[in-house]
Amino acid sequence: MGLLTILKKMKQKEREMRLLMLGLDNAGKTTILKKFNGEDVSTVSPTLGFNIKTLEHRGYKLNIWDVGGQKSLRSYWRNYFESTDGLIWVVDSADRLRLEDCRQELSSLLLEERLAGATLLVFANKQDLPGALSKDAIREGLALDAIKSHHWCIMGCSAVTGESLLAGVDWLLDDIAARIFTAD
Amino acid sequence: IFDQSEDGLLGSDQKGCGVLPLNTKVHFIMEAVVASEKGACHANEDEESSGKSNVPERLLKRDQERQEELLRRKEAKESLSVREEKSDFFTSAFNKEKAAIEDVLSGCTEGDGGTTATVLEEVSSRIQQLQKFLNDSMAFLTQYELRQAQASLQKLQSTLGEKRDKLMPKKKFTFRSRNAGTSKSKESPDSKKEDSPGSTAVDGTEGRAGGSRGPMAVDGVISEQQCGLSNADSQVFVKGADEIQQSDVLLTHLSNCKVKLLGSPSTLHIKHVRDCEILCGPVSSSIFLDHCSGCTFAFSCQQLRTHNTTDCQVYLHVTSRAIIEDCSGVRFAPFSWSYPGMEADFEVSGLDRAKNNWSQVDDFNWLSAESPSPNWGVIPEHERKSEWD
Repeated sequence: MGLLTILKKMKQKEREMRLLMLGLDNAGKTTILKKFNGEDVSTVSPTLGFNIKTLEHRGYKLNIWDVGGQKSLRSYWRNYFESTDGLIWVVDSADRLRLEDCRQELSSLLLEERLAGATLLVFANKQDLPGALSKDAIREGLALDAIKSHHWCIMGCSAVTGESLLAGVDWLLDDIAARIFTAD
Repeated sequence: IFDQSEDGLLGSDQKGCGVLPLNTKVHFIMEAVVASEKGACHANEDEESSGKSNVPERLLKRDQERQEELLRRKEAKESLSVREEKSDFFTSAFNKEKAAIEDVLSGCTEGDGGTTATVLEEVSSRIQQLQKFLNDSMAFLTQYELRQAQASLQKLQSTLGEKRDKLMPKKKFTFRSRNAGTSKSKESPDSKKEDSPGSTAVDGTEGRAGGSRGPMAVDGVISEQQCGLSNADSQVFVKGADEIQQSDVLLTHLSNCKVKLLGSPSTLHIKHVRDCEILCGPVSSSIFLDHCSGCTFAFSCQQLRTHNTTDCQVYLHVTSRAIIEDCSGVRFAPFSWSYPGMEADFEVSGLDRAKNNWSQVDDFNWLSAESPSPNWGVIPEHERKSEWD
């Protein structure tokens, strides 16, 4: 088995994934990132540019890119597409008025060639708000069932309480790992 | 065939000093003959073809040793390489399993509800195993084989998806749903509208914001849990903590109104508001303004996000940052409004009273650090409003 064993070992050493987090402004992307990393979320300010976090989770090294969602920044999103393993699309579940905007932005992202291989995780964020749309309503509003080009999953979550963040990321990691790493 | 030739080369290269490769050897012998029979070499064509017979015993023996060595090496190599690491083994095993899965999938038809689910489940796990097999074999496959295998896996996966959609459309991704009970009413705005014809200010949003267009329908509905105001002109609204405490509040399509929100909402959205005065108690997270003009606001919040807004005054307490985008003529001053019970609401909101960044506004359309953005400014002290009625 000589060579194969060596190759396997090398792969295991660099279990690295690149995750890109996008969504409309005010969706809670930075708050999710900070909460996931165990940081204080009360100081989060609107992202003028982007944040990168490298963190270890379940033996994987995750490079998470959180890019600002303001209209004026969306044209720069494409600069971050290259070699993305997982796309995290964050939705403000309480923002009904922009759900259609949200659907359009997502569907144009999914046409991107450089994101073709990426797994899609949709976070229906802000489930802690009493007026938030349910995960199923978001799924319908974003027409997720029509997505055939990517593996996808939707999770209701709350960045403020931290609910379901881990479950969502775990699903994403499992799906990516099954695709790019020698599973063992 | 490839293996053998490779072995041959390997053997001759490594043993170069001891035994020469066959053709070199013939040449060597020829030279020896030439040397011994000077001048007669041209005529003697036979000499070349029957050269082997003239080879001294010693060389013959070496040749035999070489052959044996080759054989030994070949055997050693074969015993090293594993059957599972041959690409033809992979191809046949992969295709066999693929065909088997395809058979199961095509044999799967409508009507047998329970069994269909188990069959599809089984197919799904078999596809996953096949993917794992491919992953494990990646190291010794060629790019082409890898692509082919990956493509057929994708095809299998999509066939499975189609089958699943067709046979059991609702079974996809059914995770636990928090609001399972309420989601139904949100998803069917039309029926809801008929249920409550006595339209309150809240229901009125449907008409303008979303009711007319298909995909927007879900947007316009304000569920029972969301509170808000919409479509009003020249009115005064006061909402107390009982209505707005820790909930998400939405104000849309208001003009010439006065709104007081006495309590601590969780978040506040204000859209399409003209010439209004809106005063709001401490908001735990963000306030989102869009398409407002000619308004006066008093806000305290963690973030203020202002979009497409012109000529507004904001009396602000913001603990992290205020931003503007596509705005002009927005002016800021420190928060100065108060109402009885505001201190308690600040406690509820969790906002830090000592931290106020009201004058640090990020303009997303003005990224220059040297000169200040022309789109916003500070209200001079003598112009600031001190009386709130």
